[in-house]
Amino acid sequence: MKKNGLYSKEEKIFQDKNKLYRAHSVKQIAYSTDPRDFGQVAKSIPCQEACPARTNIPGYIRCINEKRYGRAYELNRGANIMPGVLGRICSRPCETACRHGAPDNGVSVGICHLKRACADLKSPMHRIIEGLYAPTGKSVAVVGSGPAGLAAAHDLAILGHRPVIFESMEKPGGMLMYGIPEFRLPRDLLMTEINNILRLGVELKTSQAVGTHITLETLTQEFDAVVVAAGCTKPRVLEVDGEDLENVYNGLEFMKAVNAGETPVVGNTVAVIGAGFTAVDCARSAIRLGAQQVAMHIRKTMDDMRIDETEKHEARFEGIGVESLVQPVKILGENGKVTGIQFVRTRIEKTGTPPFKKSVPIADSEFFIPCDSVIAALGQAPDVHDVSDAFTGLDKDSPATGVKGVFAAGDFVTGSTDVISAIAGGRRTALAVDLYLTDMERKKTVVRLESHATTDRPRSYDFIDRVPMNTIAMDQRLADHTKEVETGFDPDQALEESQRCYLCNLKYEIDPLRCIYCSACIDVAPKDCIKMVETIPVNADGTYGRYVQTGQWNQVVSITIDNEACIRCGQCYDVCPMDCISVTKTELIQMDMDE
Amino acid sequence: MPTHDHYVIIGNGPAGNAAAFTLRENDPDAAITIISHENICFYSKPKLVKYLAGKVDEDALAVRTMDEYRRRHIRLRLGQTVAHIDPDSQSLHLSHMEKVHYTDLIIASGARARLLPSMKPYADCLTFVTEFNDTRGLRKKIADGSRFFIFGGDLVAFKFLKMLTDMGKQVTLLLYPRAFWPHRLTKDMQDAIVKNLAPTGADILADDDLDTIVQDQGKYCVTTKQGVRTQADLVFSFNGLIPEVDFARGCGLEIDHGILVDETMRTSLEHIFACGSCAQIYNPDINTYTTSIGWPNAQVQGKVAGLNLLGEHHKVRPAGRKYFDLEGVKIKTSWWEDLEKGKDT
Repeated sequence: MKKNGLYSKEEKIFQDKNKLYRAHSVKQIAYSTDPRDFGQVAKSIPCQEACPARTNIPGYIRCINEKRYGRAYELNRGANIMPGVLGRICSRPCETACRHGAPDNGVSVGICHLKRACADLKSPMHRIIEGLYAPTGKSVAVVGSGPAGLAAAHDLAILGHRPVIFESMEKPGGMLMYGIPEFRLPRDLLMTEINNILRLGVELKTSQAVGTHITLETLTQEFDAVVVAAGCTKPRVLEVDGEDLENVYNGLEFMKAVNAGETPVVGNTVAVIGAGFTAVDCARSAIRLGAQQVAMHIRKTMDDMRIDETEKHEARFEGIGVESLVQPVKILGENGKVTGIQFVRTRIEKTGTPPFKKSVPIADSEFFIPCDSVIAALGQAPDVHDVSDAFTGLDKDSPATGVKGVFAAGDFVTGSTDVISAIAGGRRTALAVDLYLTDMERKKTVVRLESHATTDRPRSYDFIDRVPMNTIAMDQRLADHTKEVETGFDPDQALEESQRCYLCNLKYEIDPLRCIYCSACIDVAPKDCIKMVETIPVNADGTYGRYVQTGQWNQVVSITIDNEACIRCGQCYDVCPMDCISVTKTELIQMDMDE
Repeated sequence: MPTHDHYVIIGNGPAGNAAAFTLRENDPDAAITIISHENICFYSKPKLVKYLAGKVDEDALAVRTMDEYRRRHIRLRLGQTVAHIDPDSQSLHLSHMEKVHYTDLIIASGARARLLPSMKPYADCLTFVTEFNDTRGLRKKIADGSRFFIFGGDLVAFKFLKMLTDMGKQVTLLLYPRAFWPHRLTKDMQDAIVKNLAPTGADILADDDLDTIVQDQGKYCVTTKQGVRTQADLVFSFNGLIPEVDFARGCGLEIDHGILVDETMRTSLEHIFACGSCAQIYNPDINTYTTSIGWPNAQVQGKVAGLNLLGEHHKVRPAGRKYFDLEGVKIKTSWWEDLEKGKDT
């Protein structure tokens, strides 16, 4: 890695080789719709497969490595629309799937922090790029301006339609604006990325609650189609005695109040019930409101919490405790105010098919903890009947609602999920609306295959430690409740973290016709990734199945690189005496149907 | 009748050894392997403080000799680290890329020092004393040094402080009220501890917190939030222990603070047991889950795990509620250790 402006000898040689290869290589590009290629991309690039929006993660990380922050931002925006927002608050399914975090491989790449880095570090001169289709003359009402509504409106505008968003609150953004605290998501940044969507010709009408100020029926009459993306607004309740006491809050209402600049009374000791992001946001907000002891109480284990390690660390750093394997029985109070909670201990049981975990109360294990306030952050459910009683056929796997011309998107149809899933859902619904309005499928997904003459990274990058996010000190957090806690990477940190990415979009293959079976590649491979294969079965969907390996030379039909185990270290590529290992860059892209 | 069973135990402490020796007593034919990342036979952790003070040598730490394992045909793999568990193929992946198959596994990996989240940026500046590997080379540094800084306040911290002051060293203790995890020391408790430690001559700081640690030419400059600045040859962190279970995450085991086990020491996966400080168990007598259980209970749990692995159905018997004496302050704990029986072990 670069120290004092200098590269190590190994890196210098690698970079010189890299430049040489690029200068002399002729790129061959092909586009494929073969299911085997889709299957290969899905298995080989676990981060992208885990991202509901299918963000080209290795692609944008490579751009950051080349200091092309604007291009990295656009690669993100093409898939997830709001990279600056998601770079701060995404639930990061990609990092859970990252190959670098697999057993023996170390710690996952800080993908989300890099997403934020490209948003932060791009030039002030950066221009957003949109490929606009010709206007269709069709108008679409979008109910709700949360992530799903914004994503749907964005794509509908791109496709040439005229979206009009009806937002029940004063400001757009939905949960992003009202559910997430400002110390995690600055509002100026949020508004910039919302405005990038509105600039495409999206009309925004705020303080317009569908079901109250305007009916769904009116919208269906005035617009060619309607997308309902009203989110989840009905809080789940504890269903225990004492829930009506003063100082018992539900998580979303509590966060709304905090985000509106109010100061709900929390007292010294706060008990938060819940295990998700909202619960952590409530706990961290309670600390900023002056609480001395804040603990989250969860029914399952610490490992089952639906938050990532960064959030867990920040919560611990701010002194928030976690009481696991407990379930509230009743909230106790005096003179109408909370005095404490009675809990029961739980244990984990697996039931059902496929097995799922549930917490089961342990008999005679009740205990009491004193507290001054209770925040129940158990998530929300969609309030379908608030919008209309017409919905009878909502299906979480389909944008259709059973009402002609009316579609649904995001949490409203799937139930409470996360921002990236809502955005992906909004985009899927926009395509369904477009098909309904134009009777044309206008986009297709293909696999782009490009010959790649280098391995793009030296082995030494595999041993770089994950770069921690910069944060502000505790006293600064308490002094200004809205001050953003994470301060982002500087360019050197972004470069260092980008070097950690294996670039799983590079597919390594051995040409069996040129291979002399010398096994030099097997000898140098640091992982069990080069396999002697007897057969490669093909699945029913046309993708390749798991390799059938053999240890008998007379049964070997091929020596094959298992791209699911390969860490793209390039050792095999460097050592092959026959130069029979090729590298191909694979990428999922959207093309026009007539292209 | 000979068998081909291979029982593997991760951890070479009291729980792991009790399990291994129980297995051997009841199954003379099976292969038994203990894997430990430490490069030393089973030793007494409580004696580490005396070892650091130069009062006992390495041999005196030993609880069992290598010969005892040889005679019982228990294989020791020392200095080897388990990277992860693959329950489907019933194998362990070691960090040096070797796979070890097991028919049944007992996890007795113990606990490691707790690094406070606020101290993460200064982790490289902190010295921990939880295992023999930590103390290699430390004895000389302590003998050569004159000023030391202790941050924390668990049981070992005060023992360690007294050891240093007895050696004539200058010591500053910054008392951290949440060091005796999961208990929080109240103001009265802190005052009593400060008073009781006064005769040691150490500088005791309370109602304060660490701000920064700066390393310069092998020395450390510690600054507190209240602005107290102290130079030290070493900065020690004594803020309790947490179960050593990172290698077991992601394999399907139910893990909370520690690996969840029932009263027979069975985990959520077949063929895998856990015992000792890495295991988390519900104790009906005290109505809570517990992880840190102390030496005698670790031995009991190891024995129960060994017997149950062989098909029996024993339940661990908790010793009951006890009190810890933290420098004159009695703390009612939810831990299992029976202090009277546990003394000097």
